[in-house]
Amino acid sequence: MGAHYAAAPADAPTKDHRRILTVPSASSPNKTALTVFLAALALIGGVLAAVYMTAPKTTVIESGTLLQQPRALPAFQLVDETGAAFTNAQLQGRWTLIFPGFTYCPDICPTTLGLLKTVQSQLGARADALQVLLFSVDPERDTPAVMQRYVHFFSPAFKGATAPEPALREFAQALGVAYAKVPGATEQSYTMDHSAALVLINPRGEIAGYFTPPHRVEALVKDLGALIENGA
Amino acid sequence: MNRARLAILSLVALAACGRTPPAAPSAVDGWLRLAPPGANASAGYLRLRNPTAQTLRCDRVVSTDFGAAELHRSVIEDGRSRMLRDQVIEVPPHGEAELAPGGYHLMLFRPQRDLAEGDTVQVTLHCGERTVDAVLGVRKA
Repeated sequence: MGAHYAAAPADAPTKDHRRILTVPSASSPNKTALTVFLAALALIGGVLAAVYMTAPKTTVIESGTLLQQPRALPAFQLVDETGAAFTNAQLQGRWTLIFPGFTYCPDICPTTLGLLKTVQSQLGARADALQVLLFSVDPERDTPAVMQRYVHFFSPAFKGATAPEPALREFAQALGVAYAKVPGATEQSYTMDHSAALVLINPRGEIAGYFTPPHRVEALVKDLGALIENGA
Repeated sequence: MNRARLAILSLVALAACGRTPPAAPSAVDGWLRLAPPGANASAGYLRLRNPTAQTLRCDRVVSTDFGAAELHRSVIEDGRSRMLRDQVIEVPPHGEAELAPGGYHLMLFRPQRDLAEGDTVQVTLHCGERTVDAVLGVRKA
């Protein structure tokens, strides 16, 4: 369509254009009215179809924000709780909820994972379409074995993944996740500041949106349930 | 700003009723979150009651059940989860303060024995010249 119009002089109406706007003089008033009406109807129908086909899904969530356009993730490679590679492929085919955190975090992290366990239970069979991933921003202490013990304590279905620098920072930046190491009383007792939002990934492996704290079970179950039921 | 102040949850109207108020501050509803296996720290929570006429300021916690104990506070600032160390918990006169998930908590490092749901541990808060003993029941969540 673009090529067709580009070839015509800028000020010359196209044949199609003229056909819609000019009415043959021989037509009866009724027939003219009908033609205009049908043309208008077709135009409106076409516009609606175009809007419908290109618009993002209409699910509205109350506990966070969905992006107008899902954002693709660059190629990445993390290590999961079994020691296997965790890449873009592991985000395909179902929704993923990414919780940035670390296991040496006795207050917020267990509170959030405990809450996500409840969300998972309340989603029932729909939970099969949702993967929960602890994205550790502390690869120094969070080895696969540590992550496995930790996430499986909450649910055997939960995953954990991290990566050494610079892969960690690259993936975190792609997700929109910030983190920083904060020294503690001893070298091993440092903590990590990290983004508090949960990142929602759609079944095509793109960032679909963010759930912002305070996280509540009821709202998350409602929002995630709606997203899963409405599909990607 | 280390010396953050805890919100007053409720004022105990001790003066209004005729009973003799309890003389000393106390800790109630104490619990410890059972840590996943291998974790080296867990968080403890409780409610501090201060029936006295003076503000109670607690700046230290000790426990023989753990290798180390600290007073911490989780906050969300600019969309980030942070943990603040070396906190002071202030309980107003005739008031209460709550240590709860996502806020002020006891950070308890290196349990000296294996803990299971239903066990109890002891901690002692140091609040100026006073000490407040607390029993924390171990719970999974």
